[in-house]
Amino acid sequence: MDPVDVVIVGSGASGAAAAWSLSRAPALRVVCLEQGEAPDPARYPTTRPDWEVSRHTTASPFPNERAGAADYPVDDRASPIAIANFNGFGGSTILYSGHVPRFHPSDFRTRSLDGVGEDWPLGYDDLAPYFAENERHMGVAGLGGDPAYPDDDRPLLPPVPLGPMGRALGHAFNALGWHWWPSYGAINTRSHAGRPTCVNLGPCNTGCAQGAKGSVDVTYWPEARRQGVEVRTGCTVVEVMLDGRERATGVRYIATDGVEHVQPAAVVVLACSGIGTPRLLLHSTSTAFPDGLLNDTGLVGRNLMLHPLGFTEGVFDTDLRSSVGPQGCCLLSQQFYETDPARDFVRGYTMHILRGAPPAETAITGYLMRRIPLGAEHHRRFAETFNHTAGIAVIAEDLPDPANRVTLDPDHTDRHGMPGVRVTYALGENTKRMLAHGLARSKEVFAAAGARVTASFAPVRHTGWHLMGTARMGSDPKTSVVNAFGQAHAVPNLFIVDSSVFVTAGAVNPVATAQALTLRMCDHLRDHPAITARAA
Amino acid sequence: MRKEASLTTLIDAILPGDAGLGLPAGSRVGVPAFLESHGLAADAAVLLSQVETVARDRFGIGFAALEAPDRVTCVERAKRADMHRASGVLVACLRAYYTDPGVLRALSAGAVPPFPDGNALDDDDWTLLEPVYERGPIHRPVPS
Ligand SMILES: Cc1cc2nc3c(=O)[nH]c(=O)nc-3n(C[C@H](O)[C@H](O)[C@H](O)COP(=O)(O)OP(=O)(O)OC[C@H]3O[C@@H](n4cnc5c(N)ncnc54)[C@H](O)[C@@H]3O)c2cc1C
Ligand code: SF4
Repeated sequence: MDPVDVVIVGSGASGAAAAWSLSRAPALRVVCLEQGEAPDPARYPTTRPDWEVSRHTTASPFPNERAGAADYPVDDRASPIAIANFNGFGGSTILYSGHVPRFHPSDFRTRSLDGVGEDWPLGYDDLAPYFAENERHMGVAGLGGDPAYPDDDRPLLPPVPLGPMGRALGHAFNALGWHWWPSYGAINTRSHAGRPTCVNLGPCNTGCAQGAKGSVDVTYWPEARRQGVEVRTGCTVVEVMLDGRERATGVRYIATDGVEHVQPAAVVVLACSGIGTPRLLLHSTSTAFPDGLLNDTGLVGRNLMLHPLGFTEGVFDTDLRSSVGPQGCCLLSQQFYETDPARDFVRGYTMHILRGAPPAETAITGYLMRRIPLGAEHHRRFAETFNHTAGIAVIAEDLPDPANRVTLDPDHTDRHGMPGVRVTYALGENTKRMLAHGLARSKEVFAAAGARVTASFAPVRHTGWHLMGTARMGSDPKTSVVNAFGQAHAVPNLFIVDSSVFVTAGAVNPVATAQALTLRMCDHLRDHPAITARAA
Repeated sequence: MRKEASLTTLIDAILPGDAGLGLPAGSRVGVPAFLESHGLAADAAVLLSQVETVARDRFGIGFAALEAPDRVTCVERAKRADMHRASGVLVACLRAYYTDPGVLRALSAGAVPPFPDGNALDDDDWTLLEPVYERGPIHRPVPS
């Protein structure tokens, strides 16, 4: 196969941002290999009335439940949090909620400020221009002037409407004197970059058939492809190949028909996600790296962070049309984001308001939680619940812990015989205390809003959406896998550009920060000697 | 001779219609077909025979002959005895019912999928944020 300048593995949030960034150098030949296929928006579940059924089948965010051809087995029985992802063109952004707040400045300095975690080898100011560039591409709705962030000039679309439920909670936060702000959502609240406006239905988590949600198949990818990046779907990379001098020579991959290929490349870029990237590294063994590529320090797969989540549900007496609107984009509160010495934990959390559940989920959860009976009373109780509920998700910052990790699972393999992963994860004491605090505060919010609390618990199992830390960045090759530009310490023409490189987790959804990092890394990568030599 | 209850009786015991709300009974909106197409027909048949047994043991008559509230009691008792299988069937019945276009229309929940129908994106009055602005910055200063 003809050599290329850069091979990117994975087409999700970070792979797409990398492809777009590299496509700006027209002389470069860039290929992206993606193990899944491209989903067809015209056949997304929401093009049918029974779309909710698909949330437990083809559009399930849980790979074992979805069991698609491109999914690899994930054994998460040793974790209280189940791993979620999507393996297809566009990666997990196909199913994500599009809630894209930035990390805060303090998130990059947890060791200096609070004596926990590690400092990152870069800071908020280094990322600020890339945050803004990313927001322009992804189409981010929101409101400037948020006192929880430094002054900035974000290129934002008008905020996603709060709806009556959001307004009720806004009043409640005001009554408590606590911070709240409309969501930062990758949702087109007006037509943007050739994509249409959101039609405000809500089911963003099964794929947006409207193309209004900023998933990367409709944001970065069209431009990257126009600018020459080639995408090959159905191609599972099983090994990053090395020469005898600790230089990557390309990747070995297997296509859907089972035929094996080698793609030689001057530079290899990994963007397979916080579990897919360590999986590929651990599977790429060689004489130089018998325990997995870049794993000479034993760090690959360790320090997995998942943002353990607490959930409180409130039910209002009145119909607040709470199920209407993008499910995960309403408002957030960062009143308890930063460390307060008066609390029994360090660091903090975001309270992320979730809209009410759609009809089938309302009925099923209500029944299982004994709030909506079967029989004659069913319809009345359903009517008192549907469109009356709201959720507060407490997104907690979990601290890096080497014992929390991803390893290969030789007993369960994907369609090509490549091992799946085992996930071992336990909540730290600091996180447990933080979650307890968050649940108590959530109840106060609902009380102030005049809503009844019907459920409140943590951690919630089916919330392993944010996969971070498994190939961390740093300046010291003994304590990190890559440098601040995602460049592997041990193999300088190998880059990792996804959230595997996160040093700490922050307490907000990771995509904005991951993509800003990717853009910064690729600016650097374009100046890599292996690239400049070939582009010349 | 024992008269066995039908699957329709079971489904309508769980999800009866409500004329006042314009909601049809479960058997009228394709719940049985859903169970069939999702490979749950056999489990539903087992549940049906379990509710029949509970009805005869507890009430001394067949499930079909019971009053509506007693039918629900039988379903719940049968579920307790065979939680996994029965819950699977009951959850599927609810899922089938609440994804039926007629039911969704009757709920008058505004526009619901399928696309491209939708709801308007309203404007908000952001003076609601005044108190948040007025309290000033809350982000933590970080030494460079
Ligand atoms: C239901 C859900 C809701 C979410 N909501 C939010 C949210 O609101 N905000 C937010 O910030 N984050 C959210 N997330 C998380 C977010 O989607 C991920 O953090 C983000 O997509 C990660 O980007 P990535 O590029 O690292 O991985 P992904 O986007 O997962 O992409 C990785 C890609 O690599 C491919 N791949 C993996 N291994 C190989 C291989 N060996 N060969 C070839 N291809 C390979 C995969 O098939 C996949 O397409 C959500 C996630 C889910 C599942
Ligand atoms: S609510 Fe808006 S962004 Fe979400 S799926 Fe519908 S149109 Fe897309």
